[in-house]
Amino acid sequence: MDLQRIVALIRRIVLQIVQDRRSIALIVVAPLIIMSLVGFSFIDKTNILNTIAPALIATFVLFLTFMLTAVSFLRERQLGTLERLTTTPVRTFEILIGYLVSFCFFSIIQSLIVVFFTIFALGIDYQGAIWQMLVIVLIETIVSVNLGIFISTFAKNEFQVVQFIPLILAPQIFLSGVILPVSELPIYFQVIAKILPLRYAVDCFQGIMLKGNSLNEISNDLIILCGFGVVFLCLAALTIRRLK
Amino acid sequence: MLIKMNESVILAKHINFSYGKTPILTDLSLSITTGKIYGIIGPSGSGKTTLIKAILGLIKLNSGELSVFGQKIISRELIHIGYMPQLTALYEDLTVFQNIDFFARMYGTKNRTEIIHILLKQVKLLDYKNQVIGKLSGGQRQRVSLAIALVHNPPLILLDEPTVGLDPKLRFELWQYFEELSRQGTTLLISSHTMDDANHCQKIGFLYDGSIVIEGSPKELCESIGNKKMTLEEVFLHIISNS
Repeated sequence: MDLQRIVALIRRIVLQIVQDRRSIALIVVAPLIIMSLVGFSFIDKTNILNTIAPALIATFVLFLTFMLTAVSFLRERQLGTLERLTTTPVRTFEILIGYLVSFCFFSIIQSLIVVFFTIFALGIDYQGAIWQMLVIVLIETIVSVNLGIFISTFAKNEFQVVQFIPLILAPQIFLSGVILPVSELPIYFQVIAKILPLRYAVDCFQGIMLKGNSLNEISNDLIILCGFGVVFLCLAALTIRRLK
Repeated sequence: MLIKMNESVILAKHINFSYGKTPILTDLSLSITTGKIYGIIGPSGSGKTTLIKAILGLIKLNSGELSVFGQKIISRELIHIGYMPQLTALYEDLTVFQNIDFFARMYGTKNRTEIIHILLKQVKLLDYKNQVIGKLSGGQRQRVSLAIALVHNPPLILLDEPTVGLDPKLRFELWQYFEELSRQGTTLLISSHTMDDANHCQKIGFLYDGSIVIEGSPKELCESIGNKKMTLEEVFLHIISNS
């Protein structure tokens, strides 16, 4: 493993996103707009807002990281830069680490902005520690980045990446406890919810932020989320190797 | 890495490759020695890019033997190869300098800033070093791509259609530069479909339907058919019409 190569990869990915104003708007402005809409719609219904806010943070991390990774990776393939990259001495896992660290950086910034906005603008009273929430953000980002890399291989253009929103993301938002608690869904949807990573991320966020649980107390959900991370990491690694 | 003169840098023996059931490279053999400019000349779809990808280890051959610097291609050998793909393969939203610097870091190049400035001067892009790639012309992008292929000073350079989109003056200057690299001992494998490029090479392999149909220096090839002297284009057309 060459640290200099990994740092160069991270630097390049961060630079590309920072120089693209639309990506920055997607990371920072879009979550704040959605949070404001939800927040001010439920301003008098504190219970609902308290439940939805952590679930939305989990959704933003999955949605935006997945989209940015899938589009970035697709562009790398289309422009031929990924192929060129694989003709250098860079290793598959160095590319993966480069992507993971870069997107973890943006996910953490995004989550912190949203959390502080919900605390100071919407007056939500969180119970748990912010650092524990950031641990969940990191694990969920690992899941989303690798899912994005894997899914991007099935898309030939950016329009096809967008088509994965109703297939991959929308069902998770409906079935993972973002809108309705999973326990209130029909039994067959509860079964499907068991294979959706967002469900476990939402449970983790709600456990820490609403109930004030420690990471130890949400370890079951955390382990399953890590399991998704490992599976998608393997799929993403195979994807890059196949493209080599 | 020590490379002796007249030693085979690339050695292919009866290599075969097909996409599904479509054969792309058929029983292809070739040997490229140190410091030579070898031109793989052939029409579109003849297998030029596939051959370069095989040398880079980007595709898995169905059969045959292919070695680079006497070894089967493996990741660490890539440090000795410079590659300029047919697509310019650049990060559109980064500047010229940022693109070259990124790949220099991938190769672990020392004294990057100094080397990049020398290269930019050679490809006549020093004034554009802070320009975003997306705003460059096709020819300028080709030159950035070439600078990336050269940034780690490799002893072997694979150039896939490097002169496409360049004006005659720039093409002439580029060939002068390639010849200078060859004199310094760098081996160049250049793919092209133009006979103008072929005339600049020290050795040519005409590629047709995945096989090298004839090989030799431009002079040898021009005198290879009958008694009369032919142009390279006439030689190529004569050979494919009889094959």
